[in-house]
Amino acid sequence: MEKHLTDGELRASLDGELETKQLHHIEACTSCQARQAQLRVKYFETGRLLSFLTPAKQTGPSAQKAWERFLREIKQQKEYSMTKRWFSIPLVRFGSMALIVLALILAFPGTRALAGELLNLFRVQQVQVVSVDFTGLEQLTGDGALGNQFTELISSSVNMQQEPGEPLAAANADEASQLAGFNVRIPAGMTPSQINVTNAAAFNMTLDRAKAQALLDETGRSDLVLPASVDGAEISVNIPASVSIAFGTCPKPGSEVSGNTEQSTTQRLYPDCIILAQIPSPIVNAPADLDIEALARIGLEFTGMSREEAVELTSTVNWTSTLLVPIPRNATTQEQVSVDGVTGTLIQRPYIENPQFALLWVRDGIIYAISGLGLNSQKAIEMANSLP
Amino acid sequence: MKRLKIKTAETAQDESRSAELERLFLEHWASVYRVLYRLVGDPAEAEDLALEAFLRLYRQTEKQMDGINAGGWLYRVAIRLGLHSIRSWKRREHYELTAGRYALEESEQSSPADILAQEEQRQQVRLVLSRMNERQSQILILRHSGLSYKEVAGALNLTPGSIGPLLVRAEREFEKQYRALAQEE
Repeated sequence: MEKHLTDGELRASLDGELETKQLHHIEACTSCQARQAQLRVKYFETGRLLSFLTPAKQTGPSAQKAWERFLREIKQQKEYSMTKRWFSIPLVRFGSMALIVLALILAFPGTRALAGELLNLFRVQQVQVVSVDFTGLEQLTGDGALGNQFTELISSSVNMQQEPGEPLAAANADEASQLAGFNVRIPAGMTPSQINVTNAAAFNMTLDRAKAQALLDETGRSDLVLPASVDGAEISVNIPASVSIAFGTCPKPGSEVSGNTEQSTTQRLYPDCIILAQIPSPIVNAPADLDIEALARIGLEFTGMSREEAVELTSTVNWTSTLLVPIPRNATTQEQVSVDGVTGTLIQRPYIENPQFALLWVRDGIIYAISGLGLNSQKAIEMANSLP
Repeated sequence: MKRLKIKTAETAQDESRSAELERLFLEHWASVYRVLYRLVGDPAEAEDLALEAFLRLYRQTEKQMDGINAGGWLYRVAIRLGLHSIRSWKRREHYELTAGRYALEESEQSSPADILAQEEQRQQVRLVLSRMNERQSQILILRHSGLSYKEVAGALNLTPGSIGPLLVRAEREFEKQYRALAQEE
């Protein structure tokens, strides 16, 4: 007599996955037949229940359409990654107000020092968002020769006069107002989980036209010619103290968050965290003959905007009062909203895994930003409208 | 199942990597989506999760991944994402609304009472699958999605001969969990 079949073999026989020789054994073996009958009952019952999951009709996008969406997602991720790399360059960290917004949108709401990282502007009275294709900056953010050249250009140009230092914890709005030197506002009916004040900072920047032009040439953009007024121009930037107010469970100031995996972790750890940041306008002194408009146009063209678009945009911006905030072209959306008695900009990053939002506006010389994870951007608008 | 031959994402290889990725995407999209749709019952959620599975494959291929079984890898990740999604209470609540709506849209002849009863069964089955050992859920889902033993084995890095015994255990566990759930309710 042959050896009886195992339950696994008998189960495979029900799926037609058993070899002929073993099937012959079942035909001749009443013991195996009885066990097979028992397994068949379970097999049918499980199959019956799982068949409830079978859709009545098959829907869904075609593979081609899904592929196109996949490519868009990839582009967004690449741009997102590039944007973060771009704004992690020391120079930009010291020189860009956009870092604040990008830290809010891309890294994590307001967990980093907010005050010490602003751009060379005059006095901000309004914000204008501009979409930029950060993937075009890949050469400058890499570890190659151009990346090093760029880093060297920046580090040799920037001279820090006053470091902001580590953020200071404040117990309430009054204490934060005293530390920061301006009236800190907290939404009515909301209790902060953390209030942090970052001290003022200041730096000087001396521009070297020859080096900067050589860098543009190296990147293949010799069509972009820096104005002569750039050479040797000294720009001084004073950045007032800023306040970051956290609601919900938020990371401590200085927490490092980077990369997609960490973003997922952050979302799980701090799903309800919302940060309200407030900072008076930075003050920038630049030579009267420095052609800010030309510099901005070159910057916009360098990041992928056509000359016509760049000229149109730069000619409509009042550079003495407007903060130009670059956002990733493909990874974010923006819309104008009425908040706090003024017009603000709602920026959203509709990424599958980690959607994020940031609301930005300026009122009475103070720049405000509310940011958080998820899709509930309405919460930011409600908060802004409940400020006293 | 075909083997993915993607080396490191160096510039010179980007083009061939992209072409290989497109081929894999077009080859596996329908089956990955189908499994997820069956599992979560919401076409939009299934599409998002399927896309996420491919995005994870894309990230993996940025590292050294010679010889990966892309189809199997995708099935494993997709089912894991689907089960994780079902386990989320909020999402389950969402499924109860959306899946019920799709059930109504899909059913042309059944009475509302029948549709409701079927939807309850679906939710119970999904809940049971989400409570089971992940490997056992994967085997049940893949087999009952119509994959052969060889295909299930390929997807889960098993031998075809081990599928029968594992199915027996998985079906026992499924029945046990299903009864336990019925008692809870």
